[in-house]
Amino acid sequence: MTTEVKKKKFIKEGTFGIYTGFFMLGSLIVAGLIIPRVSKYKPNDLASMPLAPPSRANWFGTDVLGRDVFVRVFDAVFIDLGTAIIGVSIPLVVGTVIGTLLGISQNKRVNSLVGSIIDGINAFPFLVFVIAMIAFIGPGVGSIVLAISLVNWARYARIARTRAVVVNQQGYVEAARTLGFSKKRILFKHIIPNVSSETRAYALSDFIIVIIAVAALSFLGLGIKPPQAEWGGMIRDGKDLLTVGFWWPTVFPGIALCWAGIAVAFISEGLTRRMREVGTR
Amino acid sequence: MAEFLLEAKNVSVTFGSGATKVEAVKNVSLTLRAGEPIGIVGESGSGKSTLARVLAGLQVPTEGEIFFNGEPVYKGAKSYTGEARRQVQMVFQDPYGSLNPQLTGLNAVAEAVRIHDKTNKELSETRALELLRRMGIAELDAIKKPRQLSGGQRQRVSVARALSASPTVLLADEPTSAIDQSAQAQLLNLFRGLLDDGLAIVLVSHDLGVIRYLTNRVYVMKDGVFVESGITEEIFNDPREEYTKILLASIPGTLGTAARQKLQQG
Amino acid sequence: MSTPNKPLIQIKDVVIGIPHKRRPTLIIVNNANFDINYGEMVGIVGESGSGKTMICRTMIGTLERRGGKILSGDVVFEGQSLATASESDWKKLRGKSIGYVPQSALAGPNPVLTIEAQLAEALRNTGDTKNIKARSKELLDLVKIRRVDTVMKQYPYQLSGGMRQRVMIACALATSPKLLIADEPTTGLDVTVQSQIMDLLKEIRSSMGTAIVLISHDLALIDEVCDRVVVMHAGATVEVGSVKDLEKPRHPYTIALNSSRIDIAEPGSELVTIKGSAPSVGEWNPGCRFADRCSIVQSDCRIGDHPALIGGSGTHQTACIHTELLERI
Repeated sequence: MTTEVKKKKFIKEGTFGIYTGFFMLGSLIVAGLIIPRVSKYKPNDLASMPLAPPSRANWFGTDVLGRDVFVRVFDAVFIDLGTAIIGVSIPLVVGTVIGTLLGISQNKRVNSLVGSIIDGINAFPFLVFVIAMIAFIGPGVGSIVLAISLVNWARYARIARTRAVVVNQQGYVEAARTLGFSKKRILFKHIIPNVSSETRAYALSDFIIVIIAVAALSFLGLGIKPPQAEWGGMIRDGKDLLTVGFWWPTVFPGIALCWAGIAVAFISEGLTRRMREVGTR
Repeated sequence: MAEFLLEAKNVSVTFGSGATKVEAVKNVSLTLRAGEPIGIVGESGSGKSTLARVLAGLQVPTEGEIFFNGEPVYKGAKSYTGEARRQVQMVFQDPYGSLNPQLTGLNAVAEAVRIHDKTNKELSETRALELLRRMGIAELDAIKKPRQLSGGQRQRVSVARALSASPTVLLADEPTSAIDQSAQAQLLNLFRGLLDDGLAIVLVSHDLGVIRYLTNRVYVMKDGVFVESGITEEIFNDPREEYTKILLASIPGTLGTAARQKLQQG
Repeated sequence: MSTPNKPLIQIKDVVIGIPHKRRPTLIIVNNANFDINYGEMVGIVGESGSGKTMICRTMIGTLERRGGKILSGDVVFEGQSLATASESDWKKLRGKSIGYVPQSALAGPNPVLTIEAQLAEALRNTGDTKNIKARSKELLDLVKIRRVDTVMKQYPYQLSGGMRQRVMIACALATSPKLLIADEPTTGLDVTVQSQIMDLLKEIRSSMGTAIVLISHDLALIDEVCDRVVVMHAGATVEVGSVKDLEKPRHPYTIALNSSRIDIAEPGSELVTIKGSAPSVGEWNPGCRFADRCSIVQSDCRIGDHPALIGGSGTHQTACIHTELLERI
């Protein structure tokens, strides 16, 4: 039996997930850019009769105040996605740096002190702590971002610290020391990149948590001030009307929220599969 | 010019305290001359890796001193600085952790070259490729990431990286343990070539066969102390200590068989 | 104990591949061929990537679990064909007539079970549940573990690497298997421990009559310990013979492997190394896959299929079609 194994072009594992996810996110963002601009309805103006069901005039119907739901759903894209992205990026950077420094530090006192702070913050359920923070700071977009960052960094720091301890003992870091590399170089070129590979992976799944947290906070009235359209707020405004048959002011923003979450889940899963495949070579 | 290139005097390393105290190295002294290959042989837990790290400047000894070219190496928590730092390099045991997974072999070596030669990117890459070629790593493989290389190849990239500093001493901690027999032969050949170029090598291993092949003198280590030391060939033909005889008898293949017969007769 | 004339297990022209949903099947082993007789100790030697681990999995039936598949050829154990055997067929053999000791660094005793629990589980496989504790202690004795009572109560993390391997061997021997497969059992362990474990395997062979397959990359080790040797290179068996036969190897690869041994090298001399490296799976060229590394390669070595083993089973077989040129090496 011949063993001719030609090198055919093949589809990498995980491609479907990654492309689908990016397509979903991308389309959402593009829609968020275009629709509020080209629609004849403005997100905060009264469009027609309140609680009009979906029709040719109002594709998603109108909400309790008579605003067009379709344009509001897409007007909310930037606020919701934007705050989520910032709410992940800041903790990612801050948490990775602090966690890494802690992991490689020899100073027992600092380690113990900051470590306790991290463990303390992580002991609380995420949303509960964020709500408590907002009770302190006061509601608003800025508050949401601040509160989330103040709580979330600790989760990244914990991952970073554990990983940094391991990386610090690896041969290539010790080799960098014997080769006389500066501490700065070792930290930024060798340790942090290998620590952040883990925190970045966590960030992807964290994004979904944060998006939902942003929406939840607005749902509770703690976040985005009306009349700015925002999915959580729209769901809150419409929730009491569900039981009486007016489903559209709630369901459509809900679908948008799910769409964003599923998109990120696809990307995350696709990347995981691709990493796994590379690992088996 | 000091008589010895590298010297350890009454070195002890103790970890932990009280109930968890571990005396990894107990009052050990050794010497290394320029261009000389010596071996430190012992089983896992003997303290040989800890000793190697002390010699490399990575582990501060609890007691005792290390001298490089007559100068003390450790000053407080700091070790080798400046010129001395580049002259003593180390190759580590685990080929899978010895290279930064995010850098290609070329990048890893070129980075080291750039720091030492203080040249630009292009020149450092040229020298890096040359070093890698000497280690038997073709350009095709040099641009691969570590996960695409075999254990033996990774070890050779590590050696190339260590050589970029143009060291006078190379410490090798069990470099052949995690690789195939054929890859071992290649690596040992490389080391032998480096000896011909005048590099001093400290080979740490649990395999006396490897030690016999490469070294002139050997220290036998057990539970943190040297139980026997001397010229490699003499230790082989006429071991004094029981432990040494056991180590000799364990060498796989013909050497071990001969030693085993002697052990049973003796 | 009279040993039958038929072989215990036969690997016949086995081709192993890894099928994939979207890509062509990756061939890992093409043309593996050897027999193992009752009570003999056979070493399978090869570099990493030679396919020796895959062959090992074929003999214990865990190939499918790892994504592999026997594409052609057969594995015959005591006359029973196993190429298309189901998992339940394998369950009757694995852990009963066929024992397995994994590579020490990769696997080991179950970390959450005490040694006693570990052995009890292995002994239950025999079907006889009486006197498990006493039989467990016997097994630990068999593998020369002292302080048996202490060890029984310990967890794997409390034992050294060498002790853990002995426990694995004890578990594998619980059912008095006819065939014991040891996949690089001492890689990563100190040579002193390695030497003790090899002595142990030899003793098991002589006292229990178990056939042992020892997989390793170390030719010196196999030379010292085994009766017969199977040499593998890039997924093919290239030479099979007794240890005595292999003192005069008849394949360029074996000759090169033999020459690169450190134990027979003159200190300080240049070690003979094998040029290049074995072609990776998926990059196999036609003909003999040692061609690019061979010093006596001829033009007809590079065409057609990989050469099959010449010579009948039980003789000194080689897959080199130009043995007349071997003296030139």
